Amino acid sequence: MTDSKSALDIISKQLDQIREAGTYKEERIIVSQQSSEIDVEGTEEKVLNFCANNYLGLSNNKVLMEAAKKTIDTHGLGLSSVRFICGTQNIHTKLEKTIAQFHEMEDAILYSSCFDANTGFFEGILALSEGTTLAIISDALNHASIIDGVRLCRKANRLIYKHMDMEDLESKLQQAQEQTVRIIATDGIFSMDGDVAPINEICDLAEKYDAIVMVDESHATGFFGKKGRGASEFCGALNRVDLICSTMGKALGGSSGGFTVGKKVYIDMLRQRSRPYLFSNTVSPAIVGAATKAFEIIMESTDLLLKLQENTRYFRTKMLEAGFKIPIGEHPIIPIMLGEGRVAIEYADKMLKKGIYVIGFSYPVVPKGKARIRVQISAGHSKEQLDKAINAFIEVGKDMGVIKSEN
Amino acid sequence: MLSNFLQKQQYNYVRNFTSKSAERIVKQQLQEIRNAGTWKAERIINTQQSASIGVEGTWNKVLNFCANNYLGLSNSPELMQAAKDTIDSHGLGLSSVRFICGTQNIHKKLENMIAKFHRMEDTILYSSCFDANGGLFEGFVDPVKSKVAILSDALNHASIIDGIRLSGKARKMRYNHIDMQDLENKLIEAQDQDVRIITTDGVFSMDGDVAPIEKICDLAERYDSVVMVDESHATGFFGKTGRGASEFCNVLDRVDIINSTLGKALGGSSGGFTVGKKCYIDMLRQRSRPYLFSNTLAPAVVGASIKVFDILLKSTELRDQLEKNTLYFREKMTKAGFDILAGEHPIIPIMLYEGKLANEFADEMLKRGIYVIGFSYPVVPKGEARIRVQISAGHTKEQLDKAIDAFVEVGKLKGCLKK
Repeated sequence: MTDSKSALDIISKQLDQIREAGTYKEERIIVSQQSSEIDVEGTEEKVLNFCANNYLGLSNNKVLMEAAKKTIDTHGLGLSSVRFICGTQNIHTKLEKTIAQFHEMEDAILYSSCFDANTGFFEGILALSEGTTLAIISDALNHASIIDGVRLCRKANRLIYKHMDMEDLESKLQQAQEQTVRIIATDGIFSMDGDVAPINEICDLAEKYDAIVMVDESHATGFFGKKGRGASEFCGALNRVDLICSTMGKALGGSSGGFTVGKKVYIDMLRQRSRPYLFSNTVSPAIVGAATKAFEIIMESTDLLLKLQENTRYFRTKMLEAGFKIPIGEHPIIPIMLGEGRVAIEYADKMLKKGIYVIGFSYPVVPKGKARIRVQISAGHSKEQLDKAINAFIEVGKDMGVIKSEN
Repeated sequence: MLSNFLQKQQYNYVRNFTSKSAERIVKQQLQEIRNAGTWKAERIINTQQSASIGVEGTWNKVLNFCANNYLGLSNSPELMQAAKDTIDSHGLGLSSVRFICGTQNIHKKLENMIAKFHRMEDTILYSSCFDANGGLFEGFVDPVKSKVAILSDALNHASIIDGIRLSGKARKMRYNHIDMQDLENKLIEAQDQDVRIITTDGVFSMDGDVAPIEKICDLAERYDSVVMVDESHATGFFGKTGRGASEFCNVLDRVDIINSTLGKALGGSSGGFTVGKKCYIDMLRQRSRPYLFSNTLAPAVVGASIKVFDILLKSTELRDQLEKNTLYFREKMTKAGFDILAGEHPIIPIMLYEGKLANEFADEMLKRGIYVIGFSYPVVPKGEARIRVQISAGHTKEQLDKAIDAFVEVGKLKGCLKK
């Protein structure tokens, strides 16, 4: 190695600092498929998983697995190409059409991940010049990938509005009237709290101040809103939002893939200019096949969506009854608020000993003093599994003095 | 079934409101792209990726000479089986980032194999090398706490450029393409920083030229710098045992970090990685944003990739075949009078200089059953348009000859051949 002494030195110190701060991330190793119940190296019995984005329980769904395997047989392992050279198969355009139809929008563009869809969005949607200027107005708590997408769009006037604060959004929109185009970007569901963006009000302001609305529905597509079309649908604003960015790597099977869906003119532009689309490999056949099947499943029936709703209501009700601090909401992301980071981490360890796999989130992922265990409910959880988790939470809660023993 | 679904609500795509000014502007910009002749249309393939493919709109199959399918593995039955087996054993997806519940034993196994293959300490997986590059510079040395300079070859891949743009307060410096004198000057300038990182493609994708990695390492040693090489157009097939341009230049043991892809020669499905010293990889696991905030790699991809490295660790047969094919094609095309940038890499730019000519040439080639693409401004500099041929180990001699004959025919037709 050239062994840059300074780099090695500095990075070793950085790692030490992370360990000292107690924020070092370890990876537990799973030896089974992803499911409501999993096998983790180092624990003798299986544990119940309450921290995956496996909202509909599809991550090890046999029908999707068959679809993936069948598509490997028909369309091969990979394309080894970006889309526009020789990386588009008939199945890619079919999936894009399916996504568009599901959302009642005109066209869709596929990406390796919603992370790429977001990072490739702002710079790709519009060519900036002296005559064409852009303002991007983004919720303060938006996902890291949206933040990176905005950062990559250096020529734009980049404004942040306070989390879900419509007055602040309005004032930023007024500030941005100088620019020729305005884009408001928001998560549909914010991943740390499970709170829903006020999308109707955002669209009202967008109308008033002539702005495009982009909503990231990664924690909603497939299971939130009456037919699973996301927070936009939940708010009754699906036909008012211009563009949706979302993922196939959460509820829709969890393998990988992302997309942007919306008006054809914008999608056409992204195909011509979006950097992750132009310079990164096309989505592999297996994933396209599984995702197409996943959309078919959720379009055919809302059974899974309703099961998830039922599970979510049950869990929320029981946990509130038991005395836990949970923000009011309807989403399967349920933050159990614990205050101090140290408490959250200890709590999660105790839960694992009781066979429940959850993760504690603390600073800097969430603000100081707002550490939590973020539970994610799945349609795949049975009532018994939900009860087991609730009981474990109560037991540990009493043990650690988080809830009163009389409850 | 779809119509049933849509019948249940009002089925119309009329939006209640759209930003009229934005729409109008974007429509206009699309028209400008069309007018400039740089509009990218996508041809639709209705077969597996292979040396011979079916393209919608053409009657017979065509021979594909523009895929990154260097070892012909994109439809390898063995890899396809491995992918399917892994779906059976490890499921469809993890629906999780790595550190929450997205690490299976197979992920660790693949990381170990990649490290072993490169004779380095550890590896970190990503959805793509695009993400590996995107996440590297910011995740590496904290530019708020230390002064970092990044020295990047002017023709580096778009993903490296984006990664550098995301590196915040780091000092961003560009050196002229493969210009070691300019690199040295910049390194001297950057001596006031705490850390220097030199970053370069191992093989540059438009010309197939190889970075002078030995000289880069010499300079890195002299001026105390980290060396990162992107081996996307090299891993698996370039260098004596397919370990990349770093191996080709005999400095595999001197490069600190390699970023590369599983989405080109190694089966082409998806995936990327960073491999290097454990301490660097540990840091990326704690800080790299695409790693922390994006889904873990799907089991099918991991399984197929493990199989690929198994194959590569055992034999250089495929890589040797590719070398043979490449030499043959280069020799024949040079003899025929084409202007080809000299080199050994399976990326072979057939120089045509004018953009319009490159596009017409590619169309004529398709008529003769050879699928190639013309590259012109702005992808390559004005006046340097070309057809970029990519040879595969999967190409037979007959297929190579068919392509060469077609090139010669069209070349004569268009008057491109040297007398």
